[in-house]
Amino acid sequence: MKLSLNWIKDYVSLPSDMDLKQLAFDLTMSTVEVEGAEELGKRFDGIVVGEIKEVLPHPNADKLRVCKVDTGDEDLHDIVCGGSNLEVGMKVVVACPGAFVRWHGEGEPVEIKNAKLRGVASYGMICASVEVGLDALFPAAEEHEIMDLTSFDVKAGTPLAKALDLDDIILEIDNKSMTNRPDLWGHYGIAREIAALYDLPLKSFAPFVPDSVEVLELDIQDTVRCPRYIGVKMEGLSVKASPFEMQSRIWRVGMRPINALVDITNYVMLATGQPTHAFDADHIHGHITVRRAGEGEELLLLNGKSLTLTSDDLAIADSQGVVALAGVMGGAKDSILPTTEKVILEVANFESTGVRRTALRYDNRTESSSRYEKAIDPERCDQALSLSMQYFKALYPEMKVVAMADHYPTKLVQKQIDVSLNWLERRLGKRISEEDLEKKLGALGYTLAFDGDNMHITVPTWRSTGDVSIKADIMEEVARMYGYENFEATPIVTSFEGAINQLDVDLVRKIKEYLAIRCGMQEVFTYPWMSDEFVSAILGDTTGVLKLSTPPSPTESYIRSSLLPNLCKAVVKNERYFSDFAIFEEAQIFRDENYTSKYDEREKLPTQERHLAGAFAGESGQMKSLFLRAKGVLANMSRLTHMEGFTFTHDKKPGWADDTVWLNVCLGGEVIGDLALLSKKASMACGIKNLSVILFELNLDALRPFRSRTNEFSHLPEFPVNLYDVSLLFDVDVKWDVICATALRKKKPDSFLRDVTFVEEYKGKQVPEGKKSVTLRLHIGSSEKTLTSGEIEKCAEGVIKDLARELGGEVRQ
Amino acid sequence: MKEKLLKICVEGEAAILAATTEAALQEVKVSIFGKQGTLTELLKELPKLPPEQRPEMGKAVNEAKVKLSAMIDTQREALKLKASQVSPDFDYTLPGEMPPMGGLHPITQMRYDLDDAFRSMGFEVFQEDDITSEFYAFDNLNFPPNHPARESMDTYWIEGHDTGKAEDKLCLRPHLTGGSVRYMQTHKPPYRFVYPGRVYRNETTDARHERAFFQYEALIVDKEFTFTAGKVMIKSILSKVFGRDVPVRMRAGFFPFVEPGFEIDMGCLVCGGKGCSVCKHVGWIEIMPGGTPHPNVLKSAGLDPDEYTGFYVNIGLDRLVMMRYGVDDVRLFHSTDLRFLGQFH
Repeated sequence: MKLSLNWIKDYVSLPSDMDLKQLAFDLTMSTVEVEGAEELGKRFDGIVVGEIKEVLPHPNADKLRVCKVDTGDEDLHDIVCGGSNLEVGMKVVVACPGAFVRWHGEGEPVEIKNAKLRGVASYGMICASVEVGLDALFPAAEEHEIMDLTSFDVKAGTPLAKALDLDDIILEIDNKSMTNRPDLWGHYGIAREIAALYDLPLKSFAPFVPDSVEVLELDIQDTVRCPRYIGVKMEGLSVKASPFEMQSRIWRVGMRPINALVDITNYVMLATGQPTHAFDADHIHGHITVRRAGEGEELLLLNGKSLTLTSDDLAIADSQGVVALAGVMGGAKDSILPTTEKVILEVANFESTGVRRTALRYDNRTESSSRYEKAIDPERCDQALSLSMQYFKALYPEMKVVAMADHYPTKLVQKQIDVSLNWLERRLGKRISEEDLEKKLGALGYTLAFDGDNMHITVPTWRSTGDVSIKADIMEEVARMYGYENFEATPIVTSFEGAINQLDVDLVRKIKEYLAIRCGMQEVFTYPWMSDEFVSAILGDTTGVLKLSTPPSPTESYIRSSLLPNLCKAVVKNERYFSDFAIFEEAQIFRDENYTSKYDEREKLPTQERHLAGAFAGESGQMKSLFLRAKGVLANMSRLTHMEGFTFTHDKKPGWADDTVWLNVCLGGEVIGDLALLSKKASMACGIKNLSVILFELNLDALRPFRSRTNEFSHLPEFPVNLYDVSLLFDVDVKWDVICATALRKKKPDSFLRDVTFVEEYKGKQVPEGKKSVTLRLHIGSSEKTLTSGEIEKCAEGVIKDLARELGGEVRQ
Repeated sequence: MKEKLLKICVEGEAAILAATTEAALQEVKVSIFGKQGTLTELLKELPKLPPEQRPEMGKAVNEAKVKLSAMIDTQREALKLKASQVSPDFDYTLPGEMPPMGGLHPITQMRYDLDDAFRSMGFEVFQEDDITSEFYAFDNLNFPPNHPARESMDTYWIEGHDTGKAEDKLCLRPHLTGGSVRYMQTHKPPYRFVYPGRVYRNETTDARHERAFFQYEALIVDKEFTFTAGKVMIKSILSKVFGRDVPVRMRAGFFPFVEPGFEIDMGCLVCGGKGCSVCKHVGWIEIMPGGTPHPNVLKSAGLDPDEYTGFYVNIGLDRLVMMRYGVDDVRLFHSTDLRFLGQFH
């Protein structure tokens, strides 16, 4: 919201030496965020009023003229101009060299320089209103019309800002910082805050006392949605321009002046925050009724929108039908027309949430509805009425009030709050005297009564619509008026109740650090919703997958039951730039099942598990090493993150996995995830072009962190352990885990075999077709003696024999 | 003959010491002891000497031979230790080989930095589910059905769960405070915990707005706690995270879960408070709303707001990370683009 400081000064006299920066700062610290303060006049630096003394033809251009212009300097200046309305004696706007104007009202402001136009030197430029940003106040009838100031009683050379009284400060307030303050949506409300902050007197509005007039007939049928309605019928009006100052103020805070009748209503709203509306009385048939619209009733709004109403909409109606949407916008038929002479002025209070629903329903939020939806107090109608009538009288001295009514069926109840002074002191960390409380809160309109420890507070009407209702609100009022920065910082009192030990939190962090730092994987975040193409590529079936009713896009309605679809999408994105990368994500997945809640038995929440997934992408020729790298990452995870370790089985193939290269990841006999090569089919469906992708996904909730470090020390061997490498030929389908298990069968208390480890596998020219060579390393040793070579050979031979007999292994020479 | 021997010894010693490579030393050795070596030649002359001189001369030659060959051995050892193992043209300016480079997401890094800071002050880390019921997201916090706060948080509702009952109606959590209430319901006061998490809003996205973003809620609830102590806490946390003293100020603000509420600003670290484009020339950057937990929030956790009070802040992690690194588009955080994520090691 924009505010004019000059306007604020109508209601509170600011000291002439008021530091503007300080004012913006104080308002920001105590009330609302001031986002900017613009010196309006600065926009017009170097722009002055000029008087055309002579208009001569341009020697080289038919459409241009050379004007001799008095700009207050000793000599007249030649200015080349293409304006269509140039006349001798006309007062115009001259942008002198150095000033900034917007060329034809478009683009960034450009600096005016002395220039030759078609061969004739021109001192600056004679401007159209749009070029100095004043088109709203001086609308041009056609494109080449320049701005005419002849009617203004100012001398040539007067700075434009001074001539039009535009020396003002425009404050820009962050609307978000005052959504909870219905009282601040007008100049008067901010003036009240400033008066309270600086202990300055605030002007009040004299109540409007009508002459005894006929009672205007009104029918308010919904007194909840319309707590108050004032109608004033006036005659002797006409549609004409409002005074320049009123137009100027309306314009400088961001609205457009229209005509005097409409401008008065907007001006009053900007001043008091209370919207008002003027109906053309000649077009109101019968009397005004405030009622719910009938289902399907039609209304053409004054902005041209045609609506079909619902029974939730509050309408202003006459005997023929709906004429306005209460608090939102008037209808086209009954608003101010060029012929209007009689007006019914509406100053009414409408209930906030109803106005909000209606405005949102028709996507038709207005200056009026956005104020009503903050919950304006009905008492404010009095201020708006007073100010409205003051302007109607001033602008139309012949005007007569012919009828009036003030229906106030639902009186506002001022909030009453009791606050214990001790409580306030404890919460604020500081005792504030009764005098100070009286002074600070009194200035904001609160009435205080003290009785021992109790402070009884009557909340002013303008804060009683929900904004201030409990004692914490009072504490806030005191704290902000006193200044949050003026409370001394107090240290935090701690009570030591033992160390915080969060194994599950630590485990997830250790795993992520392990993957990122030791395994060279990059953490990514993806959204919880999945794209349909990846859902069908990876998951296929969507049974049990939850859906959003308001998805970010029509093809992203499923929310993840697995992290893999989005991880594959991330692979596709990065394949453009990288051919070898590894990524992981930790996030929750959801399934449409097991509805329970551990917090409230009435609540029904679906299955939600914390998952960890990873993707290793690389050239397809590197598939084997990629897979073994991924397997190694999982196999070593427990060792480096301090939890129970995984085992692998080959029981249930994930749908997205390659037919051969897949494993189930188990913990204590239970499958908690999968590790596999993404199948060619799924890979193509995802749009992965060349890379092989190894994926894993685990249920993190199933992991079991160790309570403390648990592995035991083992003594160093007293006698040497001999490493004995042997290569054997096996059929290609004999798996390593079988070879290893068979070899380890010789590891018994009475044998010398300590361990068996893998060295390498070879398939190719050096070995016969259908065979592979596997090199094993036997760890042979004794705890009692140093073995002889004969004993070592004998041990190894035992193992080799087992492998030959059971798996057909032949020692490779 | 004696002079000859002396000459061989002097020249031999000099040549041995002058040899800088093993090959050169070998040449020296050959020149002395080889078939045509100087000493070998001298020995050949020995029989020509008168017999009475032979033993003395033989002894002298022998001593020279022992001495020189010992010198050669010593020199060889010295050269071995001195020599490089590789050819001197080894290019030590080649770039080092990188270990596999991975990294935590910059938001995770910030989150862990905050976790460390808060845990050092005795806070527990709390985590909760992403899907919540309308009951916990709104009703339980006592926001009436038409409260604007509900609408301002344009929520992602889950299909097929709108039975008309708030306990059944499900959504992706629009804020974390409902979850904080879950913590309070299941623990005994006083509380001191942080709750990092991702929240979801059905909004149009741009460089400053995202549909999924990260919040970090910190909550203290105790019988005696003034909001100025909260300021000390925030200042300590930020100073720890940014590694230097960070000025902090509190000003009036509105946030639905607190009363009183304030905006917390930190001094702009880019310009040191002088004013720059990052802080819009005010020297301060708004980083989090905070305040005393609203009595309704305390009530929903089963606490008496007259007895308990506290301090609450909600830190926007995305924003803090953007400021830490000068990131100018919030959407990059969910982009999964490794060219972006790879920058934060």
